[in-house]
Amino acid sequence: MSGSEKSSSLINLWRKISVYEEIKPLIALIGLFIASAILSPHFLTPYNQRILLLQTAPLAMLALGESMIILMGSIDLSPGSVMALSGTVAAIIFINYQQSLPIAILAGLATGALVGFINGLLVTKAKIPSFVATLAALVGGRGMVLILSGGQPIVGLTSFRIFTNEIIGVPAMVWIFILFTIINIVLLKRTSLGLKVYAIGGNEEAARYSGINADTIKLAIFTLAGVYYAIGGLMMNARLEVAYPWTGWGYELDAIASSVLGGIQLTGGVGSPLGPTLGAYILTLITNILILLGVNPYVQWVVKGAVLAIAATALTRGLKYVK
Amino acid sequence: METNSKIILETKNIVKKFPGVIALKGIDFNLYEGEVHAIVGQNGAGKSTFVKILNGIYVADEGEIIINGKKVNIRRPIDAKRHGITLVHQEVTLIPYMSVAENIYLAKIPFTKSPLTRINKKILEDFSKKYLELLGLKIDPWIKVKELSVGEQQLVQIARALAENAKIICLDEPTSALTPAEVERLFQIIREMKESGKSIIFITHHIDEVFRIADRVTILRDGEKVATLNIDQAKPLDVVKLMLGREPSKFYISREKGYKAKETPVLVVKNLSTEPEKIRGIRLQNISFDLYRGEILGIAGLLGAGKTELGKALIGVEKIVSGEIYIEGKRAQIKNPSDALRHGIYYLPESRRIEGLVLLLTIRENIILSSIDRLAKPLGLRNIDKEKQIAIQWIKKLNIVTPSTETRVMNLSGGNQQKVVIAKALESKPKILIFDEPTMGIDIGAKVEIRKIISELASQGLSVVLMSSDIDEILALSDRVLILYKGRQVALLPNKDLTRDQLMKLISGETQFFETPVPKAA
Repeated sequence: MSGSEKSSSLINLWRKISVYEEIKPLIALIGLFIASAILSPHFLTPYNQRILLLQTAPLAMLALGESMIILMGSIDLSPGSVMALSGTVAAIIFINYQQSLPIAILAGLATGALVGFINGLLVTKAKIPSFVATLAALVGGRGMVLILSGGQPIVGLTSFRIFTNEIIGVPAMVWIFILFTIINIVLLKRTSLGLKVYAIGGNEEAARYSGINADTIKLAIFTLAGVYYAIGGLMMNARLEVAYPWTGWGYELDAIASSVLGGIQLTGGVGSPLGPTLGAYILTLITNILILLGVNPYVQWVVKGAVLAIAATALTRGLKYVK
Repeated sequence: METNSKIILETKNIVKKFPGVIALKGIDFNLYEGEVHAIVGQNGAGKSTFVKILNGIYVADEGEIIINGKKVNIRRPIDAKRHGITLVHQEVTLIPYMSVAENIYLAKIPFTKSPLTRINKKILEDFSKKYLELLGLKIDPWIKVKELSVGEQQLVQIARALAENAKIICLDEPTSALTPAEVERLFQIIREMKESGKSIIFITHHIDEVFRIADRVTILRDGEKVATLNIDQAKPLDVVKLMLGREPSKFYISREKGYKAKETPVLVVKNLSTEPEKIRGIRLQNISFDLYRGEILGIAGLLGAGKTELGKALIGVEKIVSGEIYIEGKRAQIKNPSDALRHGIYYLPESRRIEGLVLLLTIRENIILSSIDRLAKPLGLRNIDKEKQIAIQWIKKLNIVTPSTETRVMNLSGGNQQKVVIAKALESKPKILIFDEPTMGIDIGAKVEIRKIISELASQGLSVVLMSSDIDEILALSDRVLILYKGRQVALLPNKDLTRDQLMKLISGETQFFETPVPKAA
C-alpha cells in the first residue's frame, strides 16, 4: 500500500518536472555520466573530463546554430562545411597573409555569416527548400575549402590557443559554448526574435498573417547560425592547431542529432534552447566512453545511431504519428 | 419515425475521459435504419467526441456499441468502416497534393484485397465521376484538392464518404463551410441517401437545419444526453433551451445603425482589381468602397464571390494589379501583412487554425504575437509578467474560457480560439478590422458573444469590415452592405429597409456549382 502511494507521489513529481522540456535529455545525460563513471576508472579523471568538454565545444556551437534553424521549421545541412570553411579562411588570413589573430578571427566569423546569409537568401528569395539550399552549401562549401587549402592542412596555428587557455581551470572555449548556450536561452525565450522563431516554426502562415516578417527573421537566423558554425571552426583550429580540409566532415548530422537528442522536434516550433548543448555533450560522451572501454571504433556509429533512435522514441511518445 | 423501423446502431453508457475533463458521461443513443438523426449541443457538449468514438478515432473508456443487435469492438477507423460506418470530418481530411479523383478513390482502398490492385487513369476517373455526378459537382476530377475552395473540398469529402458505400454516415457540421445553395444541395443528397436506406447522424449548430432535415434530434450538454426528441413533436425553441440549459436571452443581437459620412473615410478603396494567388482563386474586378470611423461594412456574397480575396488584398497577400487604397486620406502601399499592421489594418482569417493561430504556442504568446515589437523593449527583451497581465486582461474582457494564460491554444474550443485571434488583433491597436467569417463553425453561445464584441468595437470607434456568408449576421450588424458576386461588385447599399429576401437575391445572381439536374441516389 505504501508502495503504491510512493509510486503515485513519484508520478506526481514527474508530472510537475516534466513540463520542463529539458528534463528528459538532462536525465539521460546524468544517467550516462554515472554509468560511464562506474564502467571506466579513467572516465572521471580531470584529463578525460577536459578532453570531453573540449570535444563537446565545437559540436555544441554547431548544435546551437542548427537548433535555431530547426525551431524555425527549416533544416541546415551546411554546418560541417561552414565550420571547415571558416576555420580555413581564418588560418589562411593568419598564416598566408600574416594578419593579426583578431583579424583572422573576424574573417572566419564573416565567412560563416556570409554563407549563412546566402543560405537565407536561397531559402527566402529563390524559394528553395532549406534542405536543398543548404545541401548546395554543404557540397559547395567543402569545395571552397579544398580550393583555398589546396587540399592540404594549414599548420602553425598555435596562436589559436587563446581558445584552449584555461580561465578558472576551464578552457576558454568551454566558457564560450556555455556563454552561447545562455545567449540562446535568452534569445529564444526572452526576446521578440525568439518568439518569432517559435511562431514561424509552429505555423508560418499564421505568423505571417500576424504581421511577422518571416523572410527577414529567416535571413537573420541563417546568418546568425553561420556565425555559430564559424566559432565552432575556430575552436577546431585551436584544438588541433591545424586547419584540416576535412574538418567537420559529417558534423552536420551530429549537429542535427544533438538537437534531436536535446528535444528539438524536427517539425519546428517545439524544444528547449538548452537541449542542443545537452545533446552535444551526450553524443560526445558516448564516443568518449566507448574509446575508454576499448570498443571497436566502428561500433561507435552503431551505438550512436541506436541512442538517437531510442531518444527520439522517448521524445515523441504520446504523439499519434510522425513523418 | 415509423415504429416498425429497425435499430441499426445503439450505444450504451459511452464514457470518454480526457485529461482534466470527462467529455462523455454515459451516452445511450440509438439510430434507426433510414433515419436522419441530428445531434446538437454547444461546443464542448461532446458531439464530435461521440461520433469520433463511433468511428474508431477515439476509443471509449466505458460502454458498448451495438450494430444490428451485435456488440462490436471499434478501435480504429478501419474497424468502423468494416462495420459500415463512416465519418465526414468537420475539418478537411483530403490529401491536398492529390487529385480529386485519387482522393475519392482512396475510399475504396481499405476494401481492396491486394495492394497490387490495378489502378489507372480511366478507373480513377470513372469511379470518381460517378460520385461527383451523384452530388452534381462540376469539378474536374484531375484538379488537385489544394486548388479547391473550402466548400468544394467539403463536398468532395462527402463524395468520398458515398464512395465508401457506408450504411451509417456521420456528418460532423457539414454545412459550416457551405453557402445556402450548397446546403440545399446537401440536404437533397441527404434525403436521397435516406430513401436508399442509409442512416445519417448529422451534427450541426444550426437549429433550423435540424428541423428541415432530421427525423429525430438528440441534444447533448456538457457530455450528457439531455433528450432525444421526434422532430414532429418538438419546437425549435425547446431544442435551443435544452441545448443551452437556460433561456436564450439574446439570441440575435441588434445595434443602432448609421454612420457619419461627414468625416474623412478611414479607408477608401478605388477600382481595386487583383490577380488570384491560387489557380482557382477569384479575380476581383473594380471593387470600390469607403469605410468610416465606427462603421461596420458588411460584405455579403456566396462561396467564390471573392470575400476572402478582398480581405487578403487589403493586407497585401492577394496580388493587386490595379486600383488604389487610401488610409485616412493618404495613399497606402501595402505589400504584406506587416505593412498592413503598420497602417492599422488587421485581417482575422476565416481559417483560424491555419492562418490565425500558432496552435503550439500558449494563449499569452498568441495574444501578443502581433504586438511583440511594441511590447518587447528595449533590445527586443520580453517582459513575461507584462505579457501575462495583457493576456489576463483579454481573457477577462472577451470571456475566454481557459485554465490559464499558459494553456496551448490547440486545447481550446473553436469559439475560444476565435476570441484569442480577436485579442491578438486588438492588442495590435488597429484602426480597421477585417473579420472573415468570424462566427463560422462556432457554437451559438460564442457566436452571440463574438457578434456583441464586433458591435462594441464599432461603437468604440473602430472601423469594421465584416465578411460573412451568414446573411442574418450581415443584416444584424452592418451599417452598409457591399454585395459581391464572382469577384464583381453588385451593389453597395445602406442596411436600411434591406430585407433578407432582397439580399439573398443579390448575392445569388445565378447558381454556380449545380448546373446538372437533381441526380438519383446511389
